[in-house]
Amino acid sequence: MNIYSYVLRRLLYTIPVLLGVCLIIFVLFNLVAPDPAFILLGKHATQIQIDQLHHELGLDRSFIVQYFDIVKSSFTFDFGYSWATKQNIYEMIKNGAGPSLSITGPLFIISNIVAISLALLVAFYRGKLIDKVMLIVSIGGMSIPSLAVVLFGQYYFGYKLGWFEISGYERGFPGFVPYVILPVILYTFISFGADTRFYRTVILDEVYQDYVRTARSKGLNEMVIMFKHVLKNSMIPILTNIIIQIPTLILGLLFAESFFSIPGLGSMTINAINNSDFPVIKAMTILSALGFMLFGIITDVAYTMVDPRMRLK
Amino acid sequence: MTEKILEVKDLVVEFRTDRGAVKAVNGVNFDVFKGKTLGIVGESGSGKSVTALAIMGLIPNPPGRVASGQILFNGKSLVNMEPGEMRKIRGNKIAMIFQEPMTSLNPVFTIGNQIEEVIELHQTHLSASERAAKAVDMLRLVGIPSPEKRVKEYPHQLSGGMRQRVMIAIALSCEPDILIADEPTTALDVTIQAQILELMKKLQKELGMGIILITHDLGVVAETCDTVSVMYCGQIVESADVKTLFNHPAHPYTKGLMDSIPSFDSTSGHRKERLQTIEGMVPSLFNLPKGCNFQDRCSKVTDDCRGSQGDPVLKPSKGVDHNVACFNPLN
Amino acid sequence: MQSNVKQSPSLFKSALSRIVSDKLSLIALIVVGIYFFVAFLVSIGVLAADWGKEVAASYAEPSSLVWFGADIFGRSVFVKVIKATETAVMLGIVVSMISMFIGAGLGMLAGFFGGLVDEIIVWFYTTVSSIPGIMLLVAIAFILGKGTTSVFLSLGLTSWVGLCRIIRAEVMKHKDREYVQAANALGASNSRKLLKHILPNVSHLLIINFTQTFDSAIKAEVILSFLGLSVVGRPSWGGMIDDAKLELGRGVWWQLGAATMAMFFIVLAFNVLGDALRDALDPKLKGK
Repeated sequence: MNIYSYVLRRLLYTIPVLLGVCLIIFVLFNLVAPDPAFILLGKHATQIQIDQLHHELGLDRSFIVQYFDIVKSSFTFDFGYSWATKQNIYEMIKNGAGPSLSITGPLFIISNIVAISLALLVAFYRGKLIDKVMLIVSIGGMSIPSLAVVLFGQYYFGYKLGWFEISGYERGFPGFVPYVILPVILYTFISFGADTRFYRTVILDEVYQDYVRTARSKGLNEMVIMFKHVLKNSMIPILTNIIIQIPTLILGLLFAESFFSIPGLGSMTINAINNSDFPVIKAMTILSALGFMLFGIITDVAYTMVDPRMRLK
Repeated sequence: MTEKILEVKDLVVEFRTDRGAVKAVNGVNFDVFKGKTLGIVGESGSGKSVTALAIMGLIPNPPGRVASGQILFNGKSLVNMEPGEMRKIRGNKIAMIFQEPMTSLNPVFTIGNQIEEVIELHQTHLSASERAAKAVDMLRLVGIPSPEKRVKEYPHQLSGGMRQRVMIAIALSCEPDILIADEPTTALDVTIQAQILELMKKLQKELGMGIILITHDLGVVAETCDTVSVMYCGQIVESADVKTLFNHPAHPYTKGLMDSIPSFDSTSGHRKERLQTIEGMVPSLFNLPKGCNFQDRCSKVTDDCRGSQGDPVLKPSKGVDHNVACFNPLN
Repeated sequence: MQSNVKQSPSLFKSALSRIVSDKLSLIALIVVGIYFFVAFLVSIGVLAADWGKEVAASYAEPSSLVWFGADIFGRSVFVKVIKATETAVMLGIVVSMISMFIGAGLGMLAGFFGGLVDEIIVWFYTTVSSIPGIMLLVAIAFILGKGTTSVFLSLGLTSWVGLCRIIRAEVMKHKDREYVQAANALGASNSRKLLKHILPNVSHLLIINFTQTFDSAIKAEVILSFLGLSVVGRPSWGGMIDDAKLELGRGVWWQLGAATMAMFFIVLAFNVLGDALRDALDPKLKGK
């Protein structure tokens, strides 16, 4: 099977999955959720007002039609208007994506570099003191709730010590830089434990392979063995873990954005939840699912690029 | 007399485990000569692979270490050699091939890349294009058809036999003085086995290196080796030139190994009536008996073997270069 | 068949003895035990029954009288943390149970029956896992509204996919093994084969999964608290941490500190225990 037909098959399989995602959203928001009339009109609305609202929102049509509205929006990105702000949701997302990416982009790069470097370091010195210390530090880090990290970090480093900006945002580079430094540092701390441990296991899986023994028998030094032979082989699972993070980048950071008053998609989602803004939550759910599916395919294709064994299949 | 290139003296390799230290290799002696092949025979766990790794300086430390003894390569001690200096010898002067050709090559680099890597490391005077040319030459030398095409391929595109040829090409590309082959044919089909052994013999003639062939297969030994050492529980129990050993095995264990070969009897040429096996099991290294390690499986066992005379030591039997560690040698 | 029935308890026994012999895992086991015991005492009303009582001034600092200080209503933070232990343990157990029921159930059905059943279940979990966990969690919790049941359900409904995947693969492997074939020959019914023969052989995966789900449930509760979607009428660690967003500005750190520490130790203990269990019960899964 060549790569094109493989990609094509993967793309085709996203269709039933996308229909499934839309089905879940439909069931949640159109069947299970309380009647939006209560949210939008309050308790004292008349039946006429309610009927009129149902008509405006298209809730008086058949379920099939309502379902396909959701399916349609996942292709057209026309998610309608926010109930709370009355803005076009597509425009809202476009405006929020920039600020979100200005935190998640640097965070993505920095946290992965930190995690991979640390993992290589501890894998290189496996069993030694530094490995054990890092193990304790990373499990410890994983055990602190992230909200506590954000709260404490903002309070202590931002408010108490005054080292960083704690609130606000300025669009465009380099204006945003001062506002994102602290969130990036805090989230690197939040994520490094789990990532480092995962990468370490992945690398150690390779360290005991036969080809490493061959490399040693050639007279190569440990650094070359680690960085050339081992790293390229561990790249496959590492790459998967990295690529699969990308769609979460556009979701923004729920806590950090609202705490640091950054007008990104994370803040937008939280506002939507606080305001019971169904269309926005729906849109964010569809968008993130689309991102996950797309990057799932990209991961699989990336596999074949790193691993020659996959190339011919 | 040919030139002695490697001398192993009283080598002891220890491994620390949860249940205490064990001597995987316990007082081993042998010499390797230029252009000659030494066979080291033994069952799995007898310490033959550990001996090979000790020569390569690749004993995983911890938990393992060379506890005592000497390994002299052209008169220079390899034990406790500075790691950088050892790396210059490894892959260059002493090379090794392994039992698992399927997994011994790195799956994500091309064959050519993996051969060139060792050339680049040890033959620094060659340019990139010379290295590439040499990689092709090496593949041709080990009998891989259309080597120009093969250098660009990845290990998974080759069969097991072909991969072992590539391993040999890597090992020989710096024209080493010694090639250590640890069960090089065990994982291969019988016909391929013969081809690989034939290839090693041919290349030995061309390049004049000494070979240490580690195997559990006496048939392989008979075909390829000049001298043989038989290992049991980390010790050499018998050593001799190949003819003497096959014609007059002195240690009951050696005899037992020969009787368990399913083939024609090497002395008479008749098909043996029945396949024989050695009774019992190899004792655990944690729990070796006093005296001879083979006592519980030996038909000729006497009180001497049970520790009253101490441990048996390797000493000359009848022939000049025929040594055996046994209180009641055969013949 | 007999040997398989015997094998699993001895596997657990040997795993348990390995964990007990390892100092770190033993400590982790004891820590978990203490939390569960405290939760039990709270649930029968022996401990922290009066957590709602005003014992000091609003935001009283930690002192020998009120160990971890007081919250805005003058309630003892220490007693609240104890009371919230019950919430957390209950949450961890119920959510793990829900996820185990769905995950193991669907996984066993898919793996055992294969064919169309398998395709549908695979489609279903692929679909669910295509929605980023946090979005799905938020969406479900939001739809179900505030309340303890809603928290249980939303966390349970979003944490079964991993287990389902593993169980499906294991069951596929097991159903062709001799002992199941033997049960087949004896005319065992499908449900008997699944529950009596296959389930015991994948049960170690359930235990490993329990430690993971427990951990992530407690951690996810913090997110729900932050969104105002968590338990009502009782304190929770997440709620206490969330309170800190208004308190820290006034220098009131003790509620955040106490709840974080309380959470830290049990999550850490479950982490260590999960690793130890994984190593002891299923070396294949190491690190995955």
